[in-house]
Amino acid sequence: MKKRIAVYAVWAVLACLLYFFENHTDTRIILACTLFLPCLPAVRHSLFREDQRTRKAMFLPRTTRSMVSREEDEPGDLRAYLPGDPVSRIHWKLSAKRDTLLVRPQATSSGQEETVSDTAREDSCPAGQRMQRRGLLIIALSGLLALVLLLLLPAARLGMQGILNRLFDASEASNAYLYDHFPVPDTQPVWPAVLLLVVMVLALTAVSLLTGTRAPMLFLIFACTVLQIYLGIRLPAGTNILLFTGLLFLLMARPWKWQAARTILCSMAALALAVLLLWPGMDVTTEAASEHARDWLSQTFLQISGTVRETPEGMTETRHVHTQSLTEGDLPARSARTFRLSTLEEKQISMPHHVNYLRIALLLLLTVVLLVLPFLPFAMLNRHRKQASEHIASFQSADTREAILAIFQQVIAWLEATGNASGNLPYARWEADLALHLSPEYALRFAGCEKLFEEAAYSSHPIPEDYRQRLLNLLRETEQTLKARADWKQRLRLIYRECLWT
Amino acid sequence: MRPEMEKVVSELEKVIAGKRDVIGKILMALLADGHILLDDVPGVGKTTLAVAISRAIGLAYRRVQFTPDVLPSDLVGFSMYDRGTGRLVYQPGALNHANLLLGDEINRASSKTQSALLEAMEERQLTVDGVTYPLEKPFLVIATQNSVGTSGTQWLPFAQVDRFLVRLSLGYPDYEAQMAMLRDRQGANPLDQVQCVLTREALLGMQQTVQHLTTKDSILDYITRLTMASRTHPRLEAGISPRGALFLDRMAKAHAWMDGRDYVTGNDVQAVFMDVCAHRILLRDPTEGISAEQVLNELLRDVENPDHHSRLGGLLKR
Repeated sequence: MKKRIAVYAVWAVLACLLYFFENHTDTRIILACTLFLPCLPAVRHSLFREDQRTRKAMFLPRTTRSMVSREEDEPGDLRAYLPGDPVSRIHWKLSAKRDTLLVRPQATSSGQEETVSDTAREDSCPAGQRMQRRGLLIIALSGLLALVLLLLLPAARLGMQGILNRLFDASEASNAYLYDHFPVPDTQPVWPAVLLLVVMVLALTAVSLLTGTRAPMLFLIFACTVLQIYLGIRLPAGTNILLFTGLLFLLMARPWKWQAARTILCSMAALALAVLLLWPGMDVTTEAASEHARDWLSQTFLQISGTVRETPEGMTETRHVHTQSLTEGDLPARSARTFRLSTLEEKQISMPHHVNYLRIALLLLLTVVLLVLPFLPFAMLNRHRKQASEHIASFQSADTREAILAIFQQVIAWLEATGNASGNLPYARWEADLALHLSPEYALRFAGCEKLFEEAAYSSHPIPEDYRQRLLNLLRETEQTLKARADWKQRLRLIYRECLWT
Repeated sequence: MRPEMEKVVSELEKVIAGKRDVIGKILMALLADGHILLDDVPGVGKTTLAVAISRAIGLAYRRVQFTPDVLPSDLVGFSMYDRGTGRLVYQPGALNHANLLLGDEINRASSKTQSALLEAMEERQLTVDGVTYPLEKPFLVIATQNSVGTSGTQWLPFAQVDRFLVRLSLGYPDYEAQMAMLRDRQGANPLDQVQCVLTREALLGMQQTVQHLTTKDSILDYITRLTMASRTHPRLEAGISPRGALFLDRMAKAHAWMDGRDYVTGNDVQAVFMDVCAHRILLRDPTEGISAEQVLNELLRDVENPDHHSRLGGLLKR
């Protein structure tokens, strides 16, 4: 394990050095990946935590293992080890499993024995987990391989740069299109748009908190990323970090556990680091320092090689000016864009005819999405309300059986909304958990009414009418019990449900 | 538990103490009209239990101790030449007039004897020299096999184990039960105190009732999904057969009836799932240290049970 950490450390140091001396997008990506990769909990687990032996067994070819397994099919042939038995006849695998030495009566071929000694220990983790880990390890390894290829193959690097350039091009083009066709005066206030966006974010957050789905959060993260990359909308770095951190937190914090929180914190730190590294202009000090270091190195080299020359002062200066223009030069860039738009030839170069339609279509799509999005939460709420009213109507339906099923499902929905559900157990076996989480009296009442539900659901004889009232009583009691014991998050959800259902 | 069955169980508890759940399962198998495979160590009271059952319900009891030289004709009978009449006369075998047959150490029998027995179990009739003889009703086989000291035995093939409704094991009694047993045997044999509390006809009637219990489509759907999931499970070489699904349904019905209900629930299926299915599945890699029971538990955990499944609208519509 120490060896693996050392290898990783060396790799990280190399990435840092590379970044220090060759400060451009490629090296930033490499360093960011290097730092980010072990922060993924599963990769970290498979790279650092795992037992050496497990990995060995994991990579053992399958045929060898099945050969061993076939042998184990006749446990009747084995007997306990007695002093004097040849060591070569000990069945190591089964001995390890049963914790006593077992011996084969007849000697078997030596080939099998060799393979047996390889997998002598059963590993402790179940095979499903092992498969998962194997997959993750393969992903991590292929990621590393891709990075190495990116470093070594100039063609791959150029291709990568090409892709980035194209993305940049596309966003430039769409910006140009917007500037050209929808001119907006500088005095136009932006707050209505900002307000719309804020309302959208709040609504989506509320929906995802209340209904317990993560899809809106994912969508928001995706939208924020796409908006920034594609349209060239750039928020200040600090705001961005806060925004993404907050979104990630909301996305992940739902089943609240200390372990999950730790993972989230790690991911956030990694994310912040990655953003800092990838953000152009955020690392002026690094760049300046690395330039100084390079100048110093070249000077030393020249001094050693004997041809001492003065460093031309202008070189460092120009670089600094260049860097500064990247960070502060918002104005010249903008004026350059306006200029470019006014000349016809430039426009044709930046917007080839065949790409134009695609971009316009994409823009239209984006506009539609932005227009529809704020109304989505309301549409969802409306649908839920409709379902709820239909469900409530069936409580009083003429068919007692149907009414009982509906009421009991409602009870279950209440329990599930507050996290008191016992997963995929039949309702008949929920009593123990309910007694533990809520109260023994309630659990008893639940078990009694559950019998009625079963009778309604699975029998074919007629159902007495008084069952309906008993189940309605249970429903009322469930609501009261849950409300009395809810924490703030659950209470929020209960209030939401109540608004829906009454 | 139903009062009539409660009576039978309390009679049986006179001879075997502390094994209430296994006794219950055996009676369920009897009600479901299936056969039982007892996988057990010697001397835990398999024979005593079988005799006691036959006395408590008034069944005709036969016992066959299998050895490699027990022949099929010992079981199904044979035809003998009668010099006086000059005709072949059929001599009945052990199976002919038995309601309850205890096949001791079935894995010691030769494979042709095993298959003769298993065929009779399945068809519930014998055919000797072209003449077919129906077996008595009910016909229950309790076959035992010892899992220790098995050198020179002929294990039942996987395909034939599948014909048993359930595989059970009695296991050793606990401290209290063994003390009670030793104390009881000081005087008379407790087997003599077992009284007939249920007639054969009543049992046949119960079997009919059990067979006609209500099983809703949602339950059948659950059984189907369970068995289908076992067939595609990555750890299993062979999953639960269609016959296994049929037996699961029958056993679940018996469980529901014993519980005093006239309808089957998902809980009934789960309760009998382990006993009915553990001997029907074949692990792909037994060296993994994962038992058949663990895989079945995984299935129970992962396959959505009918109570939950109903929320998708299936149950409301049916």
